[in-house]
Amino acid sequence: MCLAIPAKVCEILKNNRIIVDITGVRREADISLLEETLEIEDYVLVHTGFVISKLDKKQAKEDLKLWDELLQA
Amino acid sequence: MSDPTERYRSKHVTEILLKKINKEIGQIGNPVRLMHVCGTHEHDLVKAGLRSLIPKEVELIAGPGCPVCVCSAQDIDEVLWVADTHGAIITTFGDMMRVPGSTESLYQAKGRGVDIRVVYSVSDAIKIAEKNPKTDIIFFSVGFETTSSITAAEVIRTSIPNFSIYSSHKLIPPAMELLMQRDDIEFHGFLAPGHVSTIIGSKPYDFVPEKYNFPVAVAGFEPVDILLGIYSLLKQIRENKPKVDNVYKRYVKEEGNLAAIRALDDAFVISDARWRGLGVWPKTGHEISKKYAHIDAKKKYTIPDLPLTDLHKGCLCDEILIGKTKPSECKLFMKSCRPDHPIGACMVSHEGTCNVAATYEEIDL
Repeated sequence: MCLAIPAKVCEILKNNRIIVDITGVRREADISLLEETLEIEDYVLVHTGFVISKLDKKQAKEDLKLWDELLQA
Repeated sequence: MSDPTERYRSKHVTEILLKKINKEIGQIGNPVRLMHVCGTHEHDLVKAGLRSLIPKEVELIAGPGCPVCVCSAQDIDEVLWVADTHGAIITTFGDMMRVPGSTESLYQAKGRGVDIRVVYSVSDAIKIAEKNPKTDIIFFSVGFETTSSITAAEVIRTSIPNFSIYSSHKLIPPAMELLMQRDDIEFHGFLAPGHVSTIIGSKPYDFVPEKYNFPVAVAGFEPVDILLGIYSLLKQIRENKPKVDNVYKRYVKEEGNLAAIRALDDAFVISDARWRGLGVWPKTGHEISKKYAHIDAKKKYTIPDLPLTDLHKGCLCDEILIGKTKPSECKLFMKSCRPDHPIGACMVSHEGTCNVAATYEEIDL
């Protein structure tokens, strides 16, 4: 039930709404529970029509570095 | 940057993590039981076959993380009472439809003519209320902090006279504390739920290592995410240095989603809550706060005490929900209780422990 789907931001609309691409399907999502600003091509998690989190790109890159360390250890 | 999700399904990283997990458990020298409290974890880890890949000394137990499974029959009975006595339309998530009430499920009630509509979001329920101004519409709202925060946003901004919300929302961290206090289940660490944590952050779990000397790993849902969580927990156990390790940092911040937390604090107050078959657990529920009483179905309607049957005869959902018993140990499992004919709540949702076991695991028929 707490299923949240990764989606790509396609379009920023008015009134706290955006269009996201979820595995090829475009649909509207509400961003009133997000403090960060969004840009086209950002990745977000969508839960029941609301964006609940924005992908931290820096952290995602950091993860890859951590893996490299882990894989070599 | 492309969608990073694929990288967290890497076979290469999975294999190396499995080796590391094997090494850790070898060094620990004793079997370890790790509990998750998230239906999506159960679904995704079983679907990925992780239980069969990790060493047999590491047991992953499913805690009470499926919100429709832990929803008491009392809540279903009460929304049906409102529908029957006030001609209200019930709106809810699809997962709720076949969860057993004391005498009938919403699906069965729909069969006798009660107007029950499945919605994707609370926002869709509000649209139904706007289109039917002469009929009372109830949104039967179920879920942990992830879903509660969405409901909270609508509680705050919605004021339609014919629309109200019945809150069956529950909280994860206080439930984790009650699970650690039980002496009938033994486990050694928590895999904390990734999406609840996008909302509340990783900080609310700090009491777990601090007060109970118990390790926590906040994990996502891809195979690499879950294995990283397991690896972290085993490492913490081996080193005897329990902490809250967030391995889902790409989506979970320490402080969580502040706008969502503000909405939760404004829309809800913490209350006692009834968990299916487990009785009332203190301070584990979310009721709509007084400020928004106009949208609270429990205040709008004077619901009487109704006779309650939370577990049907032979059903072990109460023990399965806390990881004390496995689905295959229940005499009803895959006999009278099946995905196409659920008797217990855990057999209904695709995230319910029994449903997952029936769908993906090898079953000895």
